[in-house]
Amino acid sequence: MSPLTLYQLVSLMLLLAGLFGISQRKSLVGMLISVELMLNGAGLSIVAAAQLTPANAVLGQLGTLFVMGLAAAEATLVLAIIVVIARRFGTTKTSVISTLKG
Amino acid sequence: MEQMAKVAFGIYTLIILSGSILAVSAKSLVRAMVGLIATLLGVAGMYMLLNSPFLALMQILIYVGAVCVLIFFAIMLTRADAGGEEAASAPLRQNLLALLAVTTVGGILSWLLLTRPLITTGVPVEVAIEKLGLGLLGPYGLAFELISVVLLVSMAGAVLLAWERRNGK
Repeated sequence: MSPLTLYQLVSLMLLLAGLFGISQRKSLVGMLISVELMLNGAGLSIVAAAQLTPANAVLGQLGTLFVMGLAAAEATLVLAIIVVIARRFGTTKTSVISTLKG
Repeated sequence: MEQMAKVAFGIYTLIILSGSILAVSAKSLVRAMVGLIATLLGVAGMYMLLNSPFLALMQILIYVGAVCVLIFFAIMLTRADAGGEEAASAPLRQNLLALLAVTTVGGILSWLLLTRPLITTGVPVEVAIEKLGLGLLGPYGLAFELISVVLLVSMAGAVLLAWERRNGK
């Protein structure tokens, strides 16, 4: 098995762990943690594909850097949303938050 | 050297595997965060193995330093203590459905990965940091500027969302 396949399998493992977490967790913070896992898997996959093939390596590394920046922006916004929801509903359980009202 | 790289790969894989299992299955969210941090450090080690030390340092700086602290704030602000939302285990049906999703996606993707030949050089190329900087200022300058705008807007949006109005609505 080539090293590239091994790296892709590891990133697939991260994706699957995140997928399992996001469909099984009951609170928003737990789901946020799972999303971070999946984003990390994506970053590892991009870097492995760029570093171990004749493709453009600079583009791969910068792409992963942008993924990290987007993950930081996403975590900030999700934190704000979670704080608002916790203030309004008193909990972050996904089964309780079922009202849609402007 | 190659043996050492293989051993390091195995160790990092083990760290990532156990960390991600802890992150998705721990009853306490703080323990899940510890698992997430272990996973992030393992991925940083993978970046080191892939001959991209700059990305490994950025991974530690951005993810472990910033994102994890943010999520800790989220845990604190929602008072998700040990007896909180994740204390009771998920119903069996939900677990089974999650497993079904994981096996379907994992089966399809790993089948694709293992049956399709991948064109690989086998040795990670070396990219000087100067080239990354030149790429950020040259061909990928627009993406670089856009990501700063996205970060600025998300910070401002977070402040606006979480702003507590003192005198009612």
